[in-house]
Amino acid sequence: MLIISDLHMGKAAHFRKAGIQVPATVTESDLDKLGRLIEKYNPEILLVTGDMFHSDMNTEVQAFSAWRSAFPDLRVILIKGNHDLLSTDEYTDLQVEICPKELLCFPFRFVHDQPKVFDEYYNITGHIHPGITIYGRARQQLKLACFYFGKTCAILPAFSLFTGLSKIRSEEGDKFYAITPEKVVAV
Amino acid sequence: MTLEKSKGYKKVIQWLKSSKKKPFKFQTDAWQYYAEGYSGLVNAPTGFGKTFSMFLAVVIDELNNQEPVKTKKRKPQGLKLIWITPLRSLAKDLARAMTEVCTALELDWHVGVRNGDTAQSEKLKQKKQMPEVLIITPESMHLLLAQKDTSRYFDNLQCIVADEWHELLGSKRGVMAELAISRIRGLLLEKHPERLLRIWGISATIGNLEQALEVLVPYEEVLKTIVVAELEKKIEIRSILPDHIDMLPWAGHLGHKLAHKLLPVIEKSKTTLIFCNTRGQAELWYQNLLKLDENLAGQIAIHHGSIDYDLRNWIEEAIHTGALKAVISTSSLDLGVDFKPVDTVVQIGSPKGVARFLQRAGRSGHSPYETSKIFFLPTHALELVEAAAIKEAAKTNNIESREPMVLSFDVLIQYMVTLAVGDGFDDKKLFEEVKQTHAFRELELSEWSWMMQFITTGGESLTAYTEFSKVEKEDALWKVKSRQMAMRHRLHIGAIVSDAMIKVKYMTGGYVGMVEESFLSKIKPGNSFTLAGRVLEFIMVKDMTALVRKSKLKTAITPSWNGGRMSLTANLGAILRQKYNQTLDKTHQDVELDIILPLFERQAKVSHVPKDDEFLIELIKTRDGYHFFAYPFEGRQVHEIMAALIAYRLSKSKPISFSIAMNDYGFELLSEKPIPLDEENIKDLFSPLNLSEDIVASINSTEMARRKFRDIACISGLVFQGFPGKYVANKHLQSSSALFFNVFSDYDKHNLLLRQAYDEAFYQQIEEPRLAAALHRIQASKVIIVKAESYTPLCFPIKVDSLRENMSSEELGERIARMTAEAEKKTARVQRRKKNDHQL
Repeated sequence: MLIISDLHMGKAAHFRKAGIQVPATVTESDLDKLGRLIEKYNPEILLVTGDMFHSDMNTEVQAFSAWRSAFPDLRVILIKGNHDLLSTDEYTDLQVEICPKELLCFPFRFVHDQPKVFDEYYNITGHIHPGITIYGRARQQLKLACFYFGKTCAILPAFSLFTGLSKIRSEEGDKFYAITPEKVVAV
Repeated sequence: MTLEKSKGYKKVIQWLKSSKKKPFKFQTDAWQYYAEGYSGLVNAPTGFGKTFSMFLAVVIDELNNQEPVKTKKRKPQGLKLIWITPLRSLAKDLARAMTEVCTALELDWHVGVRNGDTAQSEKLKQKKQMPEVLIITPESMHLLLAQKDTSRYFDNLQCIVADEWHELLGSKRGVMAELAISRIRGLLLEKHPERLLRIWGISATIGNLEQALEVLVPYEEVLKTIVVAELEKKIEIRSILPDHIDMLPWAGHLGHKLAHKLLPVIEKSKTTLIFCNTRGQAELWYQNLLKLDENLAGQIAIHHGSIDYDLRNWIEEAIHTGALKAVISTSSLDLGVDFKPVDTVVQIGSPKGVARFLQRAGRSGHSPYETSKIFFLPTHALELVEAAAIKEAAKTNNIESREPMVLSFDVLIQYMVTLAVGDGFDDKKLFEEVKQTHAFRELELSEWSWMMQFITTGGESLTAYTEFSKVEKEDALWKVKSRQMAMRHRLHIGAIVSDAMIKVKYMTGGYVGMVEESFLSKIKPGNSFTLAGRVLEFIMVKDMTALVRKSKLKTAITPSWNGGRMSLTANLGAILRQKYNQTLDKTHQDVELDIILPLFERQAKVSHVPKDDEFLIELIKTRDGYHFFAYPFEGRQVHEIMAALIAYRLSKSKPISFSIAMNDYGFELLSEKPIPLDEENIKDLFSPLNLSEDIVASINSTEMARRKFRDIACISGLVFQGFPGKYVANKHLQSSSALFFNVFSDYDKHNLLLRQAYDEAFYQQIEEPRLAAALHRIQASKVIIVKAESYTPLCFPIKVDSLRENMSSEELGERIARMTAEAEKKTARVQRRKKNDHQL
């Protein structure tokens, strides 16, 4: 199983419709990257913890559909996020299985945003596009996307390039893995 | 017929006589040129009736050419005069003065105001019937052009006046004014080619008046001239001095230590204007003065751009009537309005430039032949030298130039969409029209085509921008069809980009002003902050408005507004270096320099005081790392680039990371590794050879272009700012300029806006010619390297006043590894550093 979050497919096209110039190559390269990952690891399931599609149906969602047909055996499961607004039929057409709220898979709960109360499940979420600022000596700093692992919850970074970052506050015992162009490093 | 014999001229002279006034020569000159059909520029000191030199010219012309009235009431003829003013606060008083003139001369003109503060009802009234005189900001001119069927407004237009043109020149707002004028002129030419439209500017003295005229009136076939008033304004400059140099801190920007010395100044004057450099500083001074003297309560007020319009209005009114003893203000009161009761001005901290200082001084003693009185209050010790320098500059009238902006593609794109939202445009005609302006004289057809594509298909290659829609062709004209898109565009017309602002409102109603969103996100409900001199308790944010109530606390934190920081000008920098010479040599008559002498002696003891033919470098090692301080005295902006350049050159031979800090006097490079620097390589490091290439390389690795892109993305419509209390941005369309910068850099390298960001960084931020000149000067100077034991009086302000950025040649992974390794020690070190900073 390959798990990603916040793919925001169709975001660039949504912007273009509103008269804001975003090149479509952004989305193409997201799909290329995802394709390479699937070829490399050959998973049975692609699980998206929310915000797979940014808005309503547009050409980029259709581009996804074309991409999808290259992987007929792959199951795609989407846990609905706040951005996923397509109709049930449209998901069916795209061969995307839907979990409206969460997916339980003990000891993990896959969910888009972290729940307010915690139970015996460990939450794996997306939604906030976690980023981390690393400070060095001589007052240097770097801002990078990251994986976050806390006591009750892990947050996956946004897969899409065309997304911002929000800084998260860390607590004692939290672990961060920053993503650099070459590799993922623990910080 | 000569002008003197005309009926209009006589009428005006008679009216002036009745109020015991006589026109100055520059005024009658301007009237004469205007009557002969000239366009031009009027240059006169403040307080000598610059406004009347132009307004009366138009009035005389009207009186002379008006057809006799048959019926009792004349049919309104629509716009005759457009009066562009950079500041909203000027409009009301101008309108009042102009209306008075019209009444006295029995001229049935209406004077209207149109800007961001104008009520909707007033705008609707203007839509039905434009007044004869319209006082307007550049932004509102563009908004006017974004309406349907605008060309009918300009049929009878006689003249466009750009007031305080020196303020607009050199900014993107100036470019906006250039474009709006070119369009209005074009519309008029199209309909009535026989009519003459005059374009006049009014400007204070700047170093490049000729060029200022060229920018305002770039048209070759037009008669143009510069009218200069041969009048001198008397200015008295005095510094508020400490009794001893130890009273002044080595660094800082508040200057509260000398506050008590300000009280007698306020006491003795009728009304005092106190100018601060930032809004936050103004708030603090207001609180502080009240703390020092409770009797001042109710007699002083605070005025800045983030204070609510009604409040500001009330304050300005109170200055007029003389009800206030003192007003603390920022540049919001720099310009134009004539406050008669003001007889004293105080400048707190460095004014950074000669022109600004003299402009502020001119706010006192506004009437002709009265002396302007200005006091300079230094906020830290080294500013005493600046006081001496500025006096010298004022004496020799050494005033800066304002460089006009060119090829601002972002403004042009916004303007094109503005016209598309309005009546639409013909791209071929518009190209010719735009190319006539000074700002876009060098515009290439290929660039124009790119912009047309950008707003019609989204970008260069059609395939990359499917589904894009914005500007479409309809009946041979390019238009914006979507109402929603048009509305959104109108909301963000303008060239001033600020951080997201939130309106502040009392629970019980009534607006106080605005604060930055980032500030509010840091304070919790129940906490208090000050705004407009009031202590307010924050309750909650609702609909983009912060609700507050009056707090019982006496003092609270002051919001900071991230406005642009001004940089010391070249003129002032040069004089400053000379003053450094004179201080130790005691070859001067400045009391300021006498006071600072002990500090200079101390600097000489622990390090060295640079003469103007010397270039000082200090190397200091502390717990923070290895510090490299250099003192070119070229202003913050030049230092920022020079620091990046030197950091880049240092890192070329060996990988090393720096963080950079700078102020107006010098800059600092700080590294955790020893800096490979000695007498041998120092001149190479500061060499002007390969300057352009090295700058490009060093900028690439810093974030300068990205920072410039922030404004560009907002102005060109890529990123929506959202408006305080008015407009909640569509959540699905939110993004940041940084994101666009990355996306364009990766996928659309030929994007013109991206190029503009680099160009702006290069020419405005970097000021390459000035940088090159500075490096040449350094080459010719004697380099003095001092290894100091601890921070010196000169480097101290840089340490404190730091705007930091990073510069690294190391691999990202390597850097993280190293930074992570340090992470455990981090917390402890941060605390230690803070303590360390206090001790400095």
